[in-house]
Amino acid sequence: MLASRACYLLARDLRDTGSIRLWLLLRGLSMLVLASLLLLLCSVVPARAAQPEHLGQADLNTLQSGQLLLQDAPGGTYAAALLQASKVHVDISGMIATVALEQSFSNDSQRWFEGVYAFPLPEGAAVRTMEMVVGERRIIGKIREKTQAQEIYRQAKQAGKKASLVEQQRPNLFTNRVANIAPGERITVRLEYVQPVTYVAGEFSLRLPTTITPRYMPGAPLAPGSEEEQPAALSVNPYLGWAVPTDQVPDADAISPPLHPRHGAEQSPLNPIAITARLDMGMPLARVASAYHDIAMERRAGVYTLRLAGGVSEMDRDFVLNWRPVTGAAPVAALFGEQVGDEHFGLLLVVPPAPERAPPAMPRKLIFVVDTSGSMGGVSIAQARESVASALQQLRPEDRFNVIQFNSTHHTLFPAPVAATPGNVQRALAFVRQLDASGGTEMLGALRAALAPPGAADPVAQQAPLTQVVFITDGAVGNEAALFREIASRLGENRLFTVGIGSAPNSWFMRKAAQFGRGSYTHIGEVNEVDAKMTGLFARLARPAAVNLTVDWPVPVETWPERLPDLYHGEPLVVAVNFGSAPPAGEVVVRAELGGQHWSTRLQVAGGADPATRAQHDGVASLWARYKIAGLLDQLTSGRSEASVREAVLAVALQHQLLSPYTSFIAVEQTVVRPASEDLARTALANTAPRGQAPQTFAYPATATTGPAKVWCGLLLLFVGLLAHLLRQSEPCETERATAPAPR
Amino acid sequence: MPRRLRLASWRGALALCLVLAGAQQLAAAGLIQAKAWLAPLLIERAWQRTASAADQIRPWPWADTWPVARLRVPARRLSRLVLAGATGNALAFGPGHARASAPPGSAGLVVIAAHRDTHFAFLREVGPGERIELELPGGALRRYRVESTRVVDSRREALPVRGERDALLLVTCFPFGALRAGGPLRYVVSARPEDPPRTLAGPPAAPAPR
Repeated sequence: MLASRACYLLARDLRDTGSIRLWLLLRGLSMLVLASLLLLLCSVVPARAAQPEHLGQADLNTLQSGQLLLQDAPGGTYAAALLQASKVHVDISGMIATVALEQSFSNDSQRWFEGVYAFPLPEGAAVRTMEMVVGERRIIGKIREKTQAQEIYRQAKQAGKKASLVEQQRPNLFTNRVANIAPGERITVRLEYVQPVTYVAGEFSLRLPTTITPRYMPGAPLAPGSEEEQPAALSVNPYLGWAVPTDQVPDADAISPPLHPRHGAEQSPLNPIAITARLDMGMPLARVASAYHDIAMERRAGVYTLRLAGGVSEMDRDFVLNWRPVTGAAPVAALFGEQVGDEHFGLLLVVPPAPERAPPAMPRKLIFVVDTSGSMGGVSIAQARESVASALQQLRPEDRFNVIQFNSTHHTLFPAPVAATPGNVQRALAFVRQLDASGGTEMLGALRAALAPPGAADPVAQQAPLTQVVFITDGAVGNEAALFREIASRLGENRLFTVGIGSAPNSWFMRKAAQFGRGSYTHIGEVNEVDAKMTGLFARLARPAAVNLTVDWPVPVETWPERLPDLYHGEPLVVAVNFGSAPPAGEVVVRAELGGQHWSTRLQVAGGADPATRAQHDGVASLWARYKIAGLLDQLTSGRSEASVREAVLAVALQHQLLSPYTSFIAVEQTVVRPASEDLARTALANTAPRGQAPQTFAYPATATTGPAKVWCGLLLLFVGLLAHLLRQSEPCETERATAPAPR
Repeated sequence: MPRRLRLASWRGALALCLVLAGAQQLAAAGLIQAKAWLAPLLIERAWQRTASAADQIRPWPWADTWPVARLRVPARRLSRLVLAGATGNALAFGPGHARASAPPGSAGLVVIAAHRDTHFAFLREVGPGERIELELPGGALRRYRVESTRVVDSRREALPVRGERDALLLVTCFPFGALRAGGPLRYVVSARPEDPPRTLAGPPAAPAPR
């Protein structure tokens, strides 16, 4: 009845208007607009209706994550109460980069806040100064023993003073906590660190990580049954990470910062970073380029100044700067010196030459280990697949190879390494093509399988070619130390080469695993780099390494690293040296064996007692201390007791004022600013998810349908529609009266 | 022509549009519910033919999921077939087993998720002490008892799939009855096994003779 009446009305109206086109224009269009407006209204209404219920059901005082609810803007979108922005200035001079990093925390809420921000730094960074800036005031941070610093911070926080505590959780992962940020206020923490520039195969590079790929935490959760998140109660200064401490990673909560649930955008970054740099190499350069960012550059008198082209960028990928000297200007040997107090420090750089003639190709055994854990999801697994495929195609028929993939468990393609016949390579390519990323990162099992000694069944065992393991991963694990121990103890005559994959790989893991595996490391950040980087890696695998390196110093000195590594093609020897109180003078001799031949080089140390004639390179002393700390910590893997290592590291770190696993920076403002009546809320600042990474498989599934919203919306539309109909129904007599007199 | 008439018919057409749009929305909501309650009939048939965990019998030819276990709450006379995978394609038809977690029936942490407005709507009434059973292909049974319920923020916490904890987690969205889908909060019911995994071979496990 309703429909027929509607049809009748429609027809009459059409007749009244005259032409159908006119009717469509006059009636149809306006009706469409009104209908879409109403629909729009409907889709907004439920969102607002949901909010009061949302806040009402959770008691703010009892819920552990109470502060999070406050971060929920109406409608459930994520709007953090504390915002972080970074600013970096890099000053590169020779082999040393001095970096000033500023982290600003602004409080947009109406409450007092404590923020915990976990951030990455380059793995070789020697953090030497810290200051907290509140408005116009600067408070210089002091280096203190870790627990002592935590206690100072806790007291300041409770007393209502502004304080900042910067701690090292991993050599490339740090936390900064800032207490008592007033509503509407901004606090800036400035850090300065020194890092060595990487120089491989004639190219210099500098890598600044900006975000942290979520790490997998193997092991069983500590305090079984404490699913209700105990760490907050146990620890005075909780880190608010998403992971629960496990028996293998007891500090899991400190190294697992939350991630923004959505990906960042370059135009409106979630975590903005501004990068500027000054590059003064003192030699003509052929090329300066940034691999993953657009940069604007200027050159004046051989000094390059550069900045991000867009001003700021999202902190979702490593910043990498590469530069190359013009042919013939590449350095071969150099010694950078610095005098601090009456101590003299040096950084020695020597590049062994390429062997004169190419050695005969030896048959080799290659094992590819591919990480297919959940953190590799997205662009990373594509890069990993491409890398293995590229490597497989570079194999020679006389080579033997195998492929191992691992996530929660590991799977070996062939029971034993096979010859690289076209058939086997095709089979491996098919296997690699279907690799997908999901599950955990149980690296130990895969490492054991890769480094297992060749079985008796191996027909070429008597010939014993060197096994080269190519380990392709993003290194997103929390138990790095255990893995290093495993590599060191099982290595034998094998060599381990790491290939770091993704927008934000764990570079410390790559470098250290390669160091303990006596190999080298490569980074791949984009699919289009795969071929060039894998070819470079194969060039390194094919050529003989410089082995048995020794350095003879004219005077007794203390050098780090303790044991000089084997050098692959294009890699330089870098040694940090402490000459003691005597100014260095004389001749340094570096010897090595290169493809069965002896090689040596001599380097004159520009001596002279007059300090004015010696070039001072800022940061050399800090780098020496950093090398020493790293070397001392390596002794933990070879069995030195933690207590004695700790004592030795503490001494170096306190003397050189460096951040270390046992020392932290603490800055406290002396005035009490937060009234005792005001509570202090706390929150962890979220990192941006690495660019291109797929959502994690261990994320909670989405478990709501749009059904209720549809029911609500449908009912509302029906109600309004019927209401309109009823309003019409109540008028017909009036309409009748209006139309009736018309014919007269 | 009198304006009043135009206004009136105009209103009539508008009312019609509104009613139609409303009906469309209700039909879409009905479809979601219909899929949720009709699909189990087909899944049930697939389950009858599933004899072991390796079978993977698809309930309809183009399905990308298959039943892996049956979840029962005896006190509520509830029975739900659990599908493989806790992604949207499986969850539309039934509770899904998160692949990252331990397989059903094993001694690890088994995670089962479902939509709060369909298969797991009953979770809001489930409290500590309630018994939940997990029936595996082949008829083996694993009994759990609800230990606790809590609300987690999925942006900050990952599924605790690591570790050797032997438990069953039932996950659904929170708050119940909210209109918006895609919120960050999850309601988690965690249940502990009553019997060790060894005894799951036969339904009522006889005590081992000593």
